[in-house]
Amino acid sequence: MRACYHRSMASPVPKPSLAIDAHDVTKTFRSGWPRRRETAALRGATLTVERGTIFGLLGPNGAGKTTLLSILATLLVPDGGRVRVLGLDVVREAAALRRRINMASGRPSFLWSLRVEEIIAFYARLYGLYGQRLRRRIDTLIEQYELTDYRRAQYNELSTGIKQRVALAKALVNDPELLFLDEPTLGLDPDVSVRVRAHIGALRREQGMTIVLTTHYMREADELCDDIGFIKAGRILARGTPDALKRQIGLGDVVALKLDPPRLPWLAEAPGVLRASEHDGWLELTVDEAEKRVPELLRALAAEGVVVRNVQVREPELEDVFVELAR
Amino acid sequence: MSWRAELLASWAVVVRNALMGVRNVFFFFELLFWPVVGVLSIGLMTRFLGLTPEQGAFVLVGTIALSVINVCQLEVAYAMLLDVWSKSVKHQFMAPIGIRHLTVGAWLVGMLRGFVIFVLLAALGAWAFDFRVLAPGVGAVAMFLIGCFLTSWIVGVAVCALITLFGNRAEAFAWASVNLVLVLAGIYYPISVLPGPVAAAARAIPLTYFLDAYRAHFGFPSEFASPLTAGFTLSAVYAILAHWAFRAAVERARRTGLLLKMSE
Repeated sequence: MRACYHRSMASPVPKPSLAIDAHDVTKTFRSGWPRRRETAALRGATLTVERGTIFGLLGPNGAGKTTLLSILATLLVPDGGRVRVLGLDVVREAAALRRRINMASGRPSFLWSLRVEEIIAFYARLYGLYGQRLRRRIDTLIEQYELTDYRRAQYNELSTGIKQRVALAKALVNDPELLFLDEPTLGLDPDVSVRVRAHIGALRREQGMTIVLTTHYMREADELCDDIGFIKAGRILARGTPDALKRQIGLGDVVALKLDPPRLPWLAEAPGVLRASEHDGWLELTVDEAEKRVPELLRALAAEGVVVRNVQVREPELEDVFVELAR
Repeated sequence: MSWRAELLASWAVVVRNALMGVRNVFFFFELLFWPVVGVLSIGLMTRFLGLTPEQGAFVLVGTIALSVINVCQLEVAYAMLLDVWSKSVKHQFMAPIGIRHLTVGAWLVGMLRGFVIFVLLAALGAWAFDFRVLAPGVGAVAMFLIGCFLTSWIVGVAVCALITLFGNRAEAFAWASVNLVLVLAGIYYPISVLPGPVAAAARAIPLTYFLDAYRAHFGFPSEFASPLTAGFTLSAVYAILAHWAFRAAVERARRTGLLLKMSE
């Protein structure tokens, strides 16, 4: 398998503007003895991420998100394909790459009886910090992530939200050029999630950091990500900005109408109407283009003498895209 | 990697293991209780059996070696075990840390703990059983301790490799493997009493030679021509093998995904 990986190394040198340049990445896990079971986690995933952007990797459970993220973070060796991160090969130049990247994940775990400042110090030393620089870095991160009150608290005494903040502080000890966030707000209270998202946005805005995150919260992806890749069954199925993805999938816009009389079967057959359904007295029409179809529909309804009591138009949400792609 | 970065990475592990050690409720049991109980019970048994002072010294040397190696090798195994227990393996191996930093850092803490135990047991042996560890001279004691610490490093790193290869299932090796080595190396008896094939296996263990060399100063003629040379040569070979095995196990874990399974 390794031979396969190295054979494909002769591909062209990636653009320097790319933080991630991965082509045809494959990974199969083998388990069980004596009868071996094989699970193909990645089946030729291809992904590029521009520097200085926040990229969201979305997909259903078992789609290969964590596997791909782990390969990019040098924690897992791919079976095949070509993977360069920050211009370095993730297998042959992994040691040099590790100095420039970092990761935080949802439900983080660190040594249970170390204090918050000791956890940050341990990892900071691994990245070569010592003396005054080490102390300043610890102080900065503790202040930045509002950990002052927990500085001397042992890790196993902390709440989930505080642990998550410790994980983010740890992930920034080396001021990484590329940060991987695996479900960064998993299990957090809404107010804490909002603050964590604000921190993530600030990292890109103020430091130009490239961030790759996986999340199950579509609102989070919509709010944070410049670009989104949707992975399913080990392949990137679609990618683009949240808006582009919504258009690309062709979900259309939803026009909700409150009518008198409420039932009009002919509306489902009207030009541009893709789907029609009823919810709580509202007639919901999914149309190809709301701007064009709403005036047409209103004219047709007026001609029929139907009273329109209320009209609402909404664009599809990323969640709709997720549901559509995950089918 | 610069020499400063090398030292810092190992120092990070030293600080981490030392802090985890002092906050471990079993720390004082490992450091004081079991070693003291071991020396007292074995020492009293030598009196009950009416052993000569030389025979008593022979057995007590083995008991002290057992305690020192047990604690030191466990500390080396903690280099991996602490992260396995806390499920933080991936954070460690995503950082720019080599297995040499992990094992050397943990070994330094292990040697410190082992040396404290040695001093404590030496004082206890002198007070309770008139057994003088320094009688053969500082040089002989130093060689004996270095031998114990080298054995601990080899066993500890081998345990780290097994844990990385088999995951939590291999945890029992951390406590079991050293005892196999100690039985074979002749902790309480000369290896000449072992049956043929077992004695041959004992001759492949470096500790056998370090115990033999130290005991020679207490009136037991050496069973080997140059025990220290043999001990250090074998230690060097096993150290290289253990380091290679751990490194190969980490690389394998990166391929199989075990590194991730042992994480959060």
